[in-house]
Amino acid sequence: MTASSPTDRRDRPALAGHPTVRVDRVACTGHGVCASLLPGSVRLDEWGYPVVLTAAEGGVDDGESARAAAVRLCPAMALYAERRS
Amino acid sequence: MNLVQLLEQSGLTGRGGAAFSTATKVRAAHEHGAALIVNACDGEIGAMKDAYVVEHHLPELVRGATLVGGRRVRYAAHRGSATEARLRSAGLDVLSAPARYVSSEETSLISLAQGGLARPMTKRQPFVMGGADSEGRRISPTVVLNAETLWRVAQVVEHGPQWFRSQGLPDEPGPRLVGVGGAVSRPGVIATSAGIALRDIVAAAGGDLDHSGPVIVGGLGGVLLSRAEAASATWSTEGLRAFGGRPGSGVVHVLDAGDCPVAQLAHWFDHAAGESAGQCGPCMFGLPSIAADWHELAVGSSPVARERLQRRAASVTGRGACRFPDGVAGLATSALRVLSDHLADHACGRCAEGHPSRSSHDRVLAH
Repeated sequence: MTASSPTDRRDRPALAGHPTVRVDRVACTGHGVCASLLPGSVRLDEWGYPVVLTAAEGGVDDGESARAAAVRLCPAMALYAERRS
Repeated sequence: MNLVQLLEQSGLTGRGGAAFSTATKVRAAHEHGAALIVNACDGEIGAMKDAYVVEHHLPELVRGATLVGGRRVRYAAHRGSATEARLRSAGLDVLSAPARYVSSEETSLISLAQGGLARPMTKRQPFVMGGADSEGRRISPTVVLNAETLWRVAQVVEHGPQWFRSQGLPDEPGPRLVGVGGAVSRPGVIATSAGIALRDIVAAAGGDLDHSGPVIVGGLGGVLLSRAEAASATWSTEGLRAFGGRPGSGVVHVLDAGDCPVAQLAHWFDHAAGESAGQCGPCMFGLPSIAADWHELAVGSSPVARERLQRRAASVTGRGACRFPDGVAGLATSALRVLSDHLADHACGRCAEGHPSRSSHDRVLAH
């Protein structure tokens, strides 16, 4: 139901470079814990919701243990591991 | 030849907007024993072809749906619509969806069919495989196909893939429907195919792209084309790509040359802001912000608003459970591009079109 645009994150290889987390946007309520635990790959937008940065956007790998901690500690249980194909 | 092979040879793609291979979807549905929901909601702004298919081709639609879903088929339509009444009087199992934009999104219909609210769900994996919603509620395998798509399935089976491929373009074969509305004398559904000039599609509905305003292709999830772009554009994936658009859900809305397009688009963005399901932060905050930025541009103030709108459009893209924010962001980005000069006039307090009227778009947005 929507048009694709060059800025469309889902039409790009999400993981050019490093593995990262995905956000269940329905579950996410913007606690911001992920941005604290994954400072290299997650920043918060102007409303406090996470933006997961790809390598092309300047994101760097925060490491497997930090990702696991972020998934475990998200108060909304909104983070999950990227399914790699 | 079995159904999936026939569909593969035909090259049929979904007519609801995403243009995904129907053969691939049907194969997955059969592999996972998925139930079928026929989407006849005409959920996009200005969409009218699902209603047309149900009104004029219901027996073929049912045949196509039965081939894909067997006995486990439900027909989704907006509550209170003529389409819903027609489906009911034909004795079909109707899934009645609230008449809101995101309610007819595929995961909303799946949620509704399984006892949840008609709101989009996060797709951690395709729901044709089954899965769970964000609260952990189990969702059994379900596939959603558009009403026109299923009518085409029946046609492919009846007339064969060669017949289907004899229309349209090699990589976008088959007949397709387009709903044309706005500043045209005979708004309605046009039977066409990919590769036809957009000008001819609009002319078939009694419109004239030499004397119209800009054109919205694809509704709230689409793009704005300038009148000149629309007049020379080809109705195909390739032909619309240059403008960031695509044939998608088959909706063309011609704006009136006498109305200020900036003011008209403001109504579209206001409408979009009110249609967010309010689940995903970037959508529930982003879309009202985009609408507010547009209003700020329309009254001719801050040039900062333009950059902010561009940034916000990029920021909300890809950050909803469904693609509604992506769609509105695409419309906003295209509107900024097409109406750049006009917005500059607004910034100086001038607008050649004078006072906008609400009438023409209120009709379509009241949908």
